[in-house]
Amino acid sequence: MTAPLAWLVLVGAASPAALLAILGAASLLGRPLPERWTSTLAATAMLVSCVMLSLALVGFGMSATGIRLLSYGAWSDSYAGGVTIEFLVDRFSLAFAALSAAILGVVAAFSNRYLHREPGYNRYFVLLAMFATGMLGIALAGNVEVLFVGWEMVGLSSALLVAFFHERPAPASNALRVLSVYRISDAAMLSAAVLLRHIAGTDSLALLFSGIRTLSTVGLTQTDATIIALLMIVAVAGKSALLPFSGWLPRAMEGPTPSSAVYYGSLSIHAGCFLLLRSGPLLEHSLAARAAAGGLGALTAIFAAATTRVQSDVKSSLAYAALTQVGLIIVEIAAGWYTVAFVHMAGHACFRLLQFLSAPNVLHDLHGIDTIGRRAAPSKTVFLIAVERGFLDSLLDRLFVTPFARMANALTALDRRLCGAVIPAATTVPVHEGADRDE
Amino acid sequence: VQFSKKSARAHEVVVEDPARHSQQVGDERISKRIAENISIVSRSLSETIDGLAHLLPAQGPISIFIHHNTLHAFERRPFEEAVETAAVELDRQPFLPESRYRDKLASGRILAKDVQALVREQLGAAANAVIAGATSRIDLWCAVVLHGIPEAAGHELSWILDETPALARFRADLPAPARAALTPIGDVDDRAGEERRAVRRLWRACLDAVRRVGSHTGPSGRIDPVRHRDWLTATCGIDTDAWIHPPLIRFLAGYLDQGLARWPVPGTRLGIHGSFLEIYSGRLAAFCGDWARTLPRIVADDRATGRDAIGSVAHSLVELGVTDAEREDYLRGELLALRGWAGIVRQIEARPDRVPARDVVVTLRGYLGVRLLFERAALDHASREIGFAGPICDLREALRPQLPASPALTATERAWPLFHVAQLCGLDASAVEQWTDHDVASVEAELRSLDGLRRRRILHQAFERTVRHRFYDALIRHRARPVEATPAFQAVFCLDEREESFRRHLEEVDPSCETYSTAGFFNIAMYHQGVTDAHPRPLCPVAIRPDHFVAEIDTDGTVFARQSRRLHHAAGFLGYNVHVGSRLPLHGALLATFGWLSLVPLILRVVFPWVSSRLQRVRETTMAVPRTRLRLDRQDLAPPIGTHNGFTVDEMVAIVRRVLEDLGIRDRLSPLVLVVGHGSISLNNPHESAHDCGACGGGRGGPNARAFAQMANDSRVRGRLASEGLVIDARTWFVGAQRNTCNNDVTFFDEDVVPADHRSLLARAKTAIDVTRRREAHERCRRFDAVPRWYPPPATLAHVEARAFDLAQPRPEYGHATNAFCVVGRRARTRGLFLDRRAFLVSYDPTRDPDGTVLARMMAAVVPVVAGINLEYYFSYVDPVGYGCGTKLPHNVTSLLGVMDGSQSDLRTGLPWQMVEIHEPTRLAIVVEAPPDRVLHAVQTHAAIERLVRNRWMWLACLDPESDRLWELRATGFVPHAAEHALPTVAGDSSAWYEGKHGFIPPASIAGAAATT
Repeated sequence: MTAPLAWLVLVGAASPAALLAILGAASLLGRPLPERWTSTLAATAMLVSCVMLSLALVGFGMSATGIRLLSYGAWSDSYAGGVTIEFLVDRFSLAFAALSAAILGVVAAFSNRYLHREPGYNRYFVLLAMFATGMLGIALAGNVEVLFVGWEMVGLSSALLVAFFHERPAPASNALRVLSVYRISDAAMLSAAVLLRHIAGTDSLALLFSGIRTLSTVGLTQTDATIIALLMIVAVAGKSALLPFSGWLPRAMEGPTPSSAVYYGSLSIHAGCFLLLRSGPLLEHSLAARAAAGGLGALTAIFAAATTRVQSDVKSSLAYAALTQVGLIIVEIAAGWYTVAFVHMAGHACFRLLQFLSAPNVLHDLHGIDTIGRRAAPSKTVFLIAVERGFLDSLLDRLFVTPFARMANALTALDRRLCGAVIPAATTVPVHEGADRDE
Repeated sequence: VQFSKKSARAHEVVVEDPARHSQQVGDERISKRIAENISIVSRSLSETIDGLAHLLPAQGPISIFIHHNTLHAFERRPFEEAVETAAVELDRQPFLPESRYRDKLASGRILAKDVQALVREQLGAAANAVIAGATSRIDLWCAVVLHGIPEAAGHELSWILDETPALARFRADLPAPARAALTPIGDVDDRAGEERRAVRRLWRACLDAVRRVGSHTGPSGRIDPVRHRDWLTATCGIDTDAWIHPPLIRFLAGYLDQGLARWPVPGTRLGIHGSFLEIYSGRLAAFCGDWARTLPRIVADDRATGRDAIGSVAHSLVELGVTDAEREDYLRGELLALRGWAGIVRQIEARPDRVPARDVVVTLRGYLGVRLLFERAALDHASREIGFAGPICDLREALRPQLPASPALTATERAWPLFHVAQLCGLDASAVEQWTDHDVASVEAELRSLDGLRRRRILHQAFERTVRHRFYDALIRHRARPVEATPAFQAVFCLDEREESFRRHLEEVDPSCETYSTAGFFNIAMYHQGVTDAHPRPLCPVAIRPDHFVAEIDTDGTVFARQSRRLHHAAGFLGYNVHVGSRLPLHGALLATFGWLSLVPLILRVVFPWVSSRLQRVRETTMAVPRTRLRLDRQDLAPPIGTHNGFTVDEMVAIVRRVLEDLGIRDRLSPLVLVVGHGSISLNNPHESAHDCGACGGGRGGPNARAFAQMANDSRVRGRLASEGLVIDARTWFVGAQRNTCNNDVTFFDEDVVPADHRSLLARAKTAIDVTRRREAHERCRRFDAVPRWYPPPATLAHVEARAFDLAQPRPEYGHATNAFCVVGRRARTRGLFLDRRAFLVSYDPTRDPDGTVLARMMAAVVPVVAGINLEYYFSYVDPVGYGCGTKLPHNVTSLLGVMDGSQSDLRTGLPWQMVEIHEPTRLAIVVEAPPDRVLHAVQTHAAIERLVRNRWMWLACLDPESDRLWELRATGFVPHAAEHALPTVAGDSSAWYEGKHGFIPPASIAGAAATT
């Protein structure tokens, strides 16, 4: 039974990767494909992926329960144990992967018409393919390496799509902000992975996802579990815009509407939740981490619920509304209601996607409705906090960004003072006249 | 707890700041000074602000989109001067980039002979003067305008010289005589080497020439910036606007919000400034950003001294050290920094009846007051950052020494244009080596007056000339069609250029019908509230503020109708609850649990929009629509808006009489007259209203058409009209209708009251319209890239229907794009003339208006609307990011008033690129079929129109009603125009001419199937 399942999953996960390879190679060669080809390829790749993963889900759901690790050989064997390409399939991972493929298929169809004749059409689809590959990587990952590659692809494509309109300054600087928060989250995840490998001697996520009993057998103490889980929570908080990182979420609305929809309404924002869901057994191992996750989720939900009420632009309003649900999903995971959390997450991803994609329709939707009689904010202070989005950005700036930038500047100055004597500073190239260089 | 501790500490730091003490002393001194002449200051300050407000974009709420001249404030100057001045003052583009005109030259959209004619006209007597002893001025100008000089300076220029074949080969685009003069006839074996040596020698000759003459000292063009922010950006790279704009936009968008946020801004009744003081005077406001440390103190000071908005502006200006002399420039800079938001504030201030929220007090000075408070806080912080300890009023002087000077031109940069001129004029190195100092100076002087801007201006004028003359010639050459003695039915449309194709096809489908057009509000200025509308909206040209309110009311009392209405309400209520509930934590969680259900509408609407448009159609045709009527008669009830509820019979008589007179239809009425308004319905399109009827102020003209038909059918109105000598035959019946220009649906109103003996005629007209819908869709789909060329008419109709329902479609239709002409005259002059959906058509019968009163009042109603549409498209196309609102893709609806780019940007005004991308930016050419003196008189009776015509914001010509002669209005008066372009005659219908053709199609006479037999 394993062989057909392995093939289904492989084709499902590889078809967006193939799309990325084709579109990316064509772009790198300076010969981007025409719109029609790109859209046909994208639709085919996502359809194949969705069908294969759905079949795998149906087949696997009927035939077996529990977790199965599918290995596709070594990626690199530069050291003992090597790096293998492994997928870990269970009901959650297959369902999430199939849903992601379906959603990405719809978004690809949407984007094809929405970005018709746009100069960045090709770039957009390359990034969307990268995102699809990364998302399926996160969903199906069987070891830390695959997870990390997927995680990075999602993060990179996300930041590049925020900066899609890079000819204006705002998207570029907001993309940088998004990227830097993602880096914090990446660093936390990498640290967790290294720590896990150090303690447990393996990079397989099967261990992490399989339950408390297995964790105890490899000598993971409660302190270790807490530290790893807390690092995971930081990673999740960065990716899913939980407190105190929520400030980047509205900034990410700079890209084209469908990319905002699929990342921050639907899939990317839930990637963190999904990761936490899968590491449930680890959380169960540590009460402190569980409490931290639950508390963070609840606080985020309360904060976002207040903030969404004062947003006067439709995309920010939807972004914070989505964040409210993400907070609740985290609470559900912390409480150990995995199935509830999963249903909540999947439903929310579909529902919010539709809302985001039809965000420009809000004037049409509200045409016949009197929206003027509204409720008042509880107080001026609450209103100010909500409208300033909890002052989170300026708080992070004051606590981290400014000191960090100061330190970097100081180091640069020190560098220059120490090395200036040895290495001459770069000089500007003189403007010269073509005639001076004769035949 | 930690939060409040922190803010307390921040506050202590502020108290210890020595700068604050000096400022406190300053405050007292200043407030004393202000108190002395507060009234004078604030009065003149208000006037200054009001004067500057004209520079702001005049776009109102986006759901009532009114096309207007983007540069309305500059209408008092001639067009070219105005666009060029505005380009500098507003930092925008006046014309297309030069390269675009060169593309048009290459493709024949601009003819070289038009360029030459214009250059000759502009140079006048000086055209034949000899420049640098070698070439005539006109030759030099024509060569430079037609071929251009690539602009390059600094490193770019040295890259071009080093890395491109610029110094190895002559320009590829040289005119033949120049090439012949330059290319040496020598060794055939080494032609390339020969050419390279010649080019190098020419380049060295040019370099030597400018070196000989020495550096040119032009007037130093440096103008000091006015705003502190500009000084800081220029000297230290600090942009305070980037700090203050996000919170300012958040607050302002919240204040102006028309119902998107659930919690409104507290204290809206206090005005923008008052409400701001309420919210931001607390210590927490210091956390708005790193820069905001002093914000709470500055705000609290305003609040404690009880300043109003204008007082606050005056106080801030003193604090900022802005003198009275520079006040206007300073405030201009402040207003233009976020011009979209400032503009919408101004629009709501001027026309509060156009937004639903009634309890907000919106003033431009309130906005400026808040803006300057933010600005002062940011400047305090910026001063600290750059280590400046004094008060911010001295900041600019302190920065003066650091202001960078603009560098002088190098010899290479000066030689570069000379090098190109020499090539274009066919002057080789030996000629250039002979140049005297005077010669070099004179060539440089010519090039200064023929800079890039001037070249673009000439090319643009030539472009318009080519396009315009083709249109004039078509009107001259087109043979007038004889008028049908007894038309089977008549149809009155809006003058919109999108109806040009619809009318043409309708006449081709049923040659015995007659079509007319007039401004699509049918002379009924009203606030209208449909049964499903939440708020009334004005339906008339923007210049008119309606007095009358008309409601659509339910008349259907059947149980079924009541139920279907209840269902409709329930659906609306449910939709709204999903909209609101999804943002609440628990409702949202509940909705999300069933969220996977939304995959169904998602896939249906996104992947198969055609299916969903079919489903909608099935629903519409199977579900009985409740019967409604317009309540037109004057009611005693007080109207919710306006002064009267409904019209009196006298008012109706005046309306009907005027429209029938304008159309010239009064004694030719056929048994059935369709009155067709138009609107456009599309999804996911914040600019939906921009596709609606311009004459209805960005509303849908159906209610106006319906009201007109109802009035004209009214026996009381007919009786009164008959007594005044305008008899409407008892057999004549009017039927109102609305065409959806997006999916080509035509909806008929009040069909149930059509008399029984008219039913068959109406059925015939409806059949003809059904065929027309398909054919018109077919012609329109020609311009959509996504439609395969082989699609037959029914498939194209299905395609446009799907477009209207497609969530992913940023171009549901192309709206007014490509509009360029306007014909005011009898249909006979344009019937059968293919104008490619580019011409506004206005029915006017010159033979029935000897004294020109009809023409004068019609021009007054029509010209502002069509000129507004045309100029808005012009500006949104020539500067899509500056005057237009850029690409639609990142647009984000905010406050239900407009769109921003992404999450926080200026409010983007103008048209999106997706609407204008196929446009050709030319000024409108209006041709009136009437004698010149009558046209001149009609124009002069209306000051605004006279100004537009005199300053050439549009072209005006008149066509002799009795002959083929045409005169164009020039500076010297009406000048006869001689036709030069031929007009092809095409057998068959319109599709025979347009089928298989891409892009713009020249006019043609469509002979029609009947004529060919």
